[in-house]
Amino acid sequence: MQDAARPRTKIEVCNLTKRFGELLVLDDISFSVAEGEFVAIVGPTGCGKTTFLNTLSCLLPASNGQILIDGTPANPKRHNISYVFQEPTCLPWRTVRENVAYGMEVKGRPQKDIDERLDHILNLVGLTQCANLYPNQISASMQQRIAVSRAFAVDPDLLLMDEPYGQLDVKLRFYLEDELVSLWRKLQSTVLFITHNIEEAVYVSERILVLSNKPTRIKAEVKVDLPRPRDFMDPEFVRIREHVTDLIRWW
Amino acid sequence: MSQEATCNAASSSIANETVGQVVDRGPLNLARILTNRWFLHTVSIVAFFSLWDWLARSNVLGGGSSALARPLEVLEQLAVLTREELAELTLWGHVWASTQRVVVGFSIAAAIAVPLGLFMALNRYVNAIVKPLFDLLKPMPPISWISISILWFGIGETSKVFIIVLGTFVPCLLNAYNGVRLVEPELYDVVRMLGGRRRDEILHVCFPASFPAIFAGLQISLSIAWTCVLAAELVSARSGLGYIIVQGMNLSQPAMVIGGMAVIAAAAWGTTLLVTALERKLCPWKRKIAGL
Ligand SMILES: Nc1ncnc2c1ncn2[C@@H]1O[C@H](COP(=O)(O)OP(=O)(O)OP(=O)(O)O)[C@@H](O)[C@H]1O
Ligand SMILES: [Mg+2]
Repeated sequence: MQDAARPRTKIEVCNLTKRFGELLVLDDISFSVAEGEFVAIVGPTGCGKTTFLNTLSCLLPASNGQILIDGTPANPKRHNISYVFQEPTCLPWRTVRENVAYGMEVKGRPQKDIDERLDHILNLVGLTQCANLYPNQISASMQQRIAVSRAFAVDPDLLLMDEPYGQLDVKLRFYLEDELVSLWRKLQSTVLFITHNIEEAVYVSERILVLSNKPTRIKAEVKVDLPRPRDFMDPEFVRIREHVTDLIRWW
Repeated sequence: MSQEATCNAASSSIANETVGQVVDRGPLNLARILTNRWFLHTVSIVAFFSLWDWLARSNVLGGGSSALARPLEVLEQLAVLTREELAELTLWGHVWASTQRVVVGFSIAAAIAVPLGLFMALNRYVNAIVKPLFDLLKPMPPISWISISILWFGIGETSKVFIIVLGTFVPCLLNAYNGVRLVEPELYDVVRMLGGRRRDEILHVCFPASFPAIFAGLQISLSIAWTCVLAAELVSARSGLGYIIVQGMNLSQPAMVIGGMAVIAAAAWGTTLLVTALERKLCPWKRKIAGL
């Protein structure tokens, strides 16, 4: 993308350090994400990707350093953040439909908007027919779709996704990757997308952050400046994919 | 579930999932009948009553005619009690007298203990104040209060309700407290990451999540309530199922004693069913565990 279209910094991570007791997980990480940017994060298992998103969304306190969103310390009450957890988390006492509606309810949207948005979004992820079932009556991948649609439904400025599509079958994954990209373009929201799938990272993102093993730092940063819709067979696509794959030969 | 059928029909192109049910029906043969659940239930019930009847008839337990009543004698005795009054009440009157005490005592306890338990779990100051008192009184068996409550409240309704309240208070409170304590922390994260307030956490996560535990506490309380009411009536009462048992004992009529016991079991079972129905209504989301 052109640099002229990059007016503001959305997220600024300054010297972020996170320890769990003696265990140093995030080691003095600094980077920034521009408004409207789509950043993918890849890194070895247990390097602290989930920990990073948890600190960003204030679910965990940072040990050191800070995270600024729009220039102020990150705060889910103030910033319109949506976070798709690695594990499917649905409220068991709400039906599929009520679960998807939950984010909008918390943010105090009017009921009419909620209903309209719900019909659209449930159809988008293919949950319409199961709208009135409870989470314990549906499969894990469908529960994960609830979490994805709950996050999409609030039109977030900042969308955090922690391996959201790991549970899904290939067909649904491709479909939802495209949906994510089109949602991102429409809302011009900022997206942080964690994945283990390098092809997926290259397909959706504009920039890929490659993390190292613990204590975790940013090992490399790869720009993905390809036109959309992207083609998996495009030589440039394949080159970037292989470049990232080389970078993450952690073993 | 009726919705499952709709889900099964015409799966969409994306949600290629079915949540329908297929009943596995094999051919009927002797082995299947012999291992059928209902067949085995019947066998065990029939065996129990036959053994009982045989023991009563053959008089192996000794004690002459007053030792053990036959099942049919018990039924006859109960039929008589529904027609003829005992201390100015028929059987139904006695059932109602006991049930009324249970319901009143149980309701009072639940109405105080459940909110208090929730408060204790949510607020550490309330917890710090209530917990020591609670821990002090908790190990005391409720029945040990019978004498003092008769001294305080006389032999009327109040003393019986008092015992029930004391006995049922503990499980109601403990379960509400633990119900909130054991909520999965990830569920709070759902509310927090969306910018929910503490109020949202309590209303949308704490309360619904603790419902099953609260209901488990209510069920335990209910059976304790019946124990308490029986104990109180055995000690002093002019009505109630415990009174029937005492009368049966005084009149040397084992059929009456066993009849009273059986009716208590039935009444306790009935109230349990009511609470179960209420739970079904309030927690439709709870996973049904087959065969329990
Ligand atoms: N609450 C915690 N207490 C102590 N250690 C923790 C805690 N949470 C995470 N860790 C540790 O921090 C490290 C990073 O964990 P994290 O879940 O962020 O990894 P991850 O990069 O998301 O891994 P994965 O790719 O498997 O999801 C791990 O070594 C883990 O053991
Ligand atoms: Mg993780």
